[in-house]
Amino acid sequence: MLIALAIRLFTIVATVAVARRPAICRVVSMGGSILASAITGWLAVRVITSRAVIDGVLARHAASGIVFGYAVTPLSAWFLMVLALIAAPVAVYSIGYFAHAVPASRTATTGVGFNVLLGAVELVFVASDVVTFLFAWELMTLATAALVATDHEERSSRRAAYLYLVMSHVGTGCLVAGFLALASRAGSLSFSVLLTGDTVSGSLRHVLFVLFFVGFGVKAGLIPLHVWLPEAHPAAPSSVSALMSAVLITTGLYGLLRLCAFGLGVPSLDWGLAVMGVGALSAILGVLYALTENDVKRMLAYSTIEHAGIIVLGVGVAMMARASGRGDLAAVAMAASLYHVLNHAAFKGLLFLGAGGMAMGTGTRRIEEFGGLLRRLPWTGFFFLVGALAISGLPPLNGFASEWLLFQALLRGFASIPGLVRLNFPIGGALLALTSALAAACFVRAFGISFLALPRSRAAAEAPESPALMLVPQGYLAALCVGLGLFPGIVLQSLDRVLASLPGVQSPVALAPSSLAMASPRDVTDGVVPLGLAVAIGGGIIVGLLLAARRVSRRVPTWGCGGELTARTEYTATAFSKPLMMMFRAVYRPTREVEAMAEVSPYFPTEVRFRGRIEPTFERYIYTPLALAVLRVAVGLKVLQAGSLHAYLAYVLVLGVLLLIWLGGSI
Amino acid sequence: MGEALRAAVFAVLQAALLLAAAPLLHGVIKKMKAAFQTRQGPPLLQSYYDIAKLLRKEPIRSETTTWVYAAGPRVYFATAVAATTLVPVFVTAAPLEAVGGILLLVGTLALGRFALASAALDTGSPFGGMGSSREMTIAALAEPALMLGLFASALAAGSLNLGTLVRGLAEQGPSLHPSDLLGFASLFIILIAESGRVPVDNPATHLELTMIHEAMVLEYAGPDLALVEWASALKELLYLTLLADLFAPIGIATTLTPATALIAVTAWSMKVFLFAFGVTLVESTNAKLRLFRVPELVATSLGLGFLALAIRFL
Amino acid sequence: MTRDVLILCAAGMLVSAYLMVGQKALFTAIRLYAVQSLLLGTVAITMAIADRRDELFVMAALTITLKSALIPWFLMRVIDRIGIHREIEPFLNVPASLLVCLGLTAVGYRVSTGFPEGTQGVTHHLVGVALSMLLIGLFLMVTRKKAVTQILALLTVENAVFLVALGITSGMPLVVELGISFDVILAVLMLGILVHRIVDRFESMDVSRLSKLKG
Repeated sequence: MLIALAIRLFTIVATVAVARRPAICRVVSMGGSILASAITGWLAVRVITSRAVIDGVLARHAASGIVFGYAVTPLSAWFLMVLALIAAPVAVYSIGYFAHAVPASRTATTGVGFNVLLGAVELVFVASDVVTFLFAWELMTLATAALVATDHEERSSRRAAYLYLVMSHVGTGCLVAGFLALASRAGSLSFSVLLTGDTVSGSLRHVLFVLFFVGFGVKAGLIPLHVWLPEAHPAAPSSVSALMSAVLITTGLYGLLRLCAFGLGVPSLDWGLAVMGVGALSAILGVLYALTENDVKRMLAYSTIEHAGIIVLGVGVAMMARASGRGDLAAVAMAASLYHVLNHAAFKGLLFLGAGGMAMGTGTRRIEEFGGLLRRLPWTGFFFLVGALAISGLPPLNGFASEWLLFQALLRGFASIPGLVRLNFPIGGALLALTSALAAACFVRAFGISFLALPRSRAAAEAPESPALMLVPQGYLAALCVGLGLFPGIVLQSLDRVLASLPGVQSPVALAPSSLAMASPRDVTDGVVPLGLAVAIGGGIIVGLLLAARRVSRRVPTWGCGGELTARTEYTATAFSKPLMMMFRAVYRPTREVEAMAEVSPYFPTEVRFRGRIEPTFERYIYTPLALAVLRVAVGLKVLQAGSLHAYLAYVLVLGVLLLIWLGGSI
Repeated sequence: MGEALRAAVFAVLQAALLLAAAPLLHGVIKKMKAAFQTRQGPPLLQSYYDIAKLLRKEPIRSETTTWVYAAGPRVYFATAVAATTLVPVFVTAAPLEAVGGILLLVGTLALGRFALASAALDTGSPFGGMGSSREMTIAALAEPALMLGLFASALAAGSLNLGTLVRGLAEQGPSLHPSDLLGFASLFIILIAESGRVPVDNPATHLELTMIHEAMVLEYAGPDLALVEWASALKELLYLTLLADLFAPIGIATTLTPATALIAVTAWSMKVFLFAFGVTLVESTNAKLRLFRVPELVATSLGLGFLALAIRFL
Repeated sequence: MTRDVLILCAAGMLVSAYLMVGQKALFTAIRLYAVQSLLLGTVAITMAIADRRDELFVMAALTITLKSALIPWFLMRVIDRIGIHREIEPFLNVPASLLVCLGLTAVGYRVSTGFPEGTQGVTHHLVGVALSMLLIGLFLMVTRKKAVTQILALLTVENAVFLVALGITSGMPLVVELGISFDVILAVLMLGILVHRIVDRFESMDVSRLSKLKG
């Protein structure tokens, strides 16, 4: 671990050193990053396979004896592995991408930021005490903000970075408060003491739960703390967005797992319900908002919110299982969540990298200006299709595997947990089904409108394919999606060790590499063999090909109803999601304005202007009033800032004297 | 190895049988609808003639399309065929039941739908986009109701695996538990929605304002169209079989002997015929709903499914 | 004997602080500061001899050279260059200021009762004097307008801190002391530069004219 950190530091220094030569700079920074990722990944695999915890010391404060160290537990190792699996291809992609998308003068800063970010995230996962954790957390936030603001000439980038910083710090504030309360109660700063679950009790536990949930929820992008996500992800360069979606969200989830789910003792049923509720809400709202987005990266950002919600839904089920003492159910739910973390990283990373290629080729992020890209960017299109299939939870790809596990968990939850509360599970299942079906609709839209039919703009008609350096990582991630889907048993076997390390979770018996099943002493769940399905589908395709023997097809123009078929007559992305927008009117609250400009007579308009808008509910009703209230208080306090040096000094003096009087007597 | 081989042979046989029977279903429904309308209607085997004719024709594809367009019908067809191997039809076992259960079935059909919907966008014609959009919308709304309905039955048997499910139900025998009736009603509505029948969609229309599934496949011709038509019929047959398995598990063979096989085939045919009659009844006595009224229908189905679940377990 | 010397020097330092409050002439104020620093050095040497700590000798030498000689010389040069020799009317007139200083001394002594006794038994006095000097220094900063007086007040505060360290722990680690000394030098040098700028801008050293530091 220390080696990896050292390599990163060295890479950072080396990057700064060669800042003048962008090409070398890129290779140096990304190469170093890949090396460090490889080392952490190998370390993670070692921990998972050997079930041993690897720990070490980073720094030691001689006077007080406090040790700042790291400990790679199986849970941390899982997240580290996910990080390593995604960071490596993203780094390779960045070598090519930064050449085009980032100006030469900023290559060094971006490379440094990249490495700092990855190093900080790794440290977050392995931190074994409060100070290291918070330090790494803060470093991660700052690095991300810097990367988001890479294009700081754009006002939207600046705004996005600022919003991200503010919200992250609100979250971090909650975390600090929670940690301080916990530490003061337990008398130690080390996680091994704090997170055993019996350090606090009573109402303090509930307060701490809320604090930590809010703090980590901001980072994970849960509704209603999600407003920074759709702004920040598009503003960053695509490889960074891929990292942010795949990895940064997982830090929030990691924190949730370690603290809220397993660190505060046996969770109460209400907590589990609350977590499930927030998860389900995030999932459904995330995908609904994604459906109406015309900016491909914003759409992917909302989709990330959706999947964070799904993962949290699984965590909620696990918490409820633990609260009811059903360790086996908790195992299934946790397996689903952790598996989904891995899957989400894979397909979301893939999709963002593809989006980057699309944006780079056409110069725009708007879906409405794409079209026919499959001809110009065949490989990007193919990989994007694989990612779209995976994210919609379609078998036999990886999205289906983790969603299947989650459905199993919900089903079993209904069967095993007594009482009226178990009705939440079928509701959760219905919402999950709705979410994944809507996600499928969303990605049919994204893939179809962007890559198929005629190009809708000049830029789309002339877009070049991405260079090989950018395509290979996408291919790798696509292969990962397929592999993870076809061989879920391997994933489950690895997860087995991780699950065994979590308290209150009963590790099941794992089965064959290509089967997705979890057996426990109590009962055997059903199994799914995606490989079998793939074979069956293959058989079906063979039958189809035999029946409709390949003959050369005749190419004719599409029937345009007697008129000419141009890009203007194609279906647009907005039109595609219109039925859903109308059906979910209550959520979207759309408004529209139609203006017809006419010069001579209103019956002969020269121009018609249409403007459709979806109401930004969270921004308008929660955040804007909150921000205004804070600003009002700040303006009120401005009176204190008189501008006079003497006034400020007087404040210091008065406060000092008061403090001395108050404290001096009590020493 | 022997197991796998036996399963494979079983799968191929079942798939072939269902493939052969599927167009007949369409013929039967059309004949019954015509009878309602006091017409003669097309011959029973018309669908077979249509498919054969289409298979012989030259494939015509639009200039704007890519490989996605050609792949769409084939994936749709392949997923439908693969889905037949997951459902128990004549015996209380599905050929590939070890491969997956209800969720896999639903997922496989969703994969086919994704492929077809994407391909529809490839032609550049607004019909394709429209059909694709509406189809995905209705599918999205129908999913939760489908899940709830299937869950209700699955929980009764304790497993999502269709083979186990059917075996359990066959042992219990038919029941008229209110939960079953509600579940049946819920899933029947979903069947209507997924097969694209009135009142959700009109399979016989080509007016742009009224077609959903047809709009998606409007541009297909020749072998492509044959595959799509066949797969649609197969899907419908599958749904009907599923309904029969879940709610009327009589006559399914538990062991394979010529006698039980004959009984099973007859029972299955009668059940499918009965349900098809129900579908025709619904089609003939209802008008097609406006697109924006379909959510209300699906919501009714969702409510029924939820009730089924609640009644059984609370 | 040691005890008496220590108490005498501490008292002297406090008196010099009071005199600084009552002074209008800048030259005298600087000289008072030099005397204060000299007394501080004496305290350090006495403690060094009594406790046999060699590093305190180094510190004493540093204090005497830097703070009694070098810095006052530098400040006087600055004033010479500018040509301003007198403090203008402070915010609070002299009798009132002196009364406030008495109050601050009381606070300082009250707080010093809480500290544990050191080796010489003078901790109580040393800390009391030091805290009082600190508060008086702060007070000077609040009520005086000329930039040079402000820096003198800062230097007084720094002396007070050093004295507290001497009183409680017999001196701070060498590294820390060196660091602080360099900070002080830097601060004074910067003042030298800044004063010229302020005078150029405002034709006066009046710091209350700097009022842009607000929201």
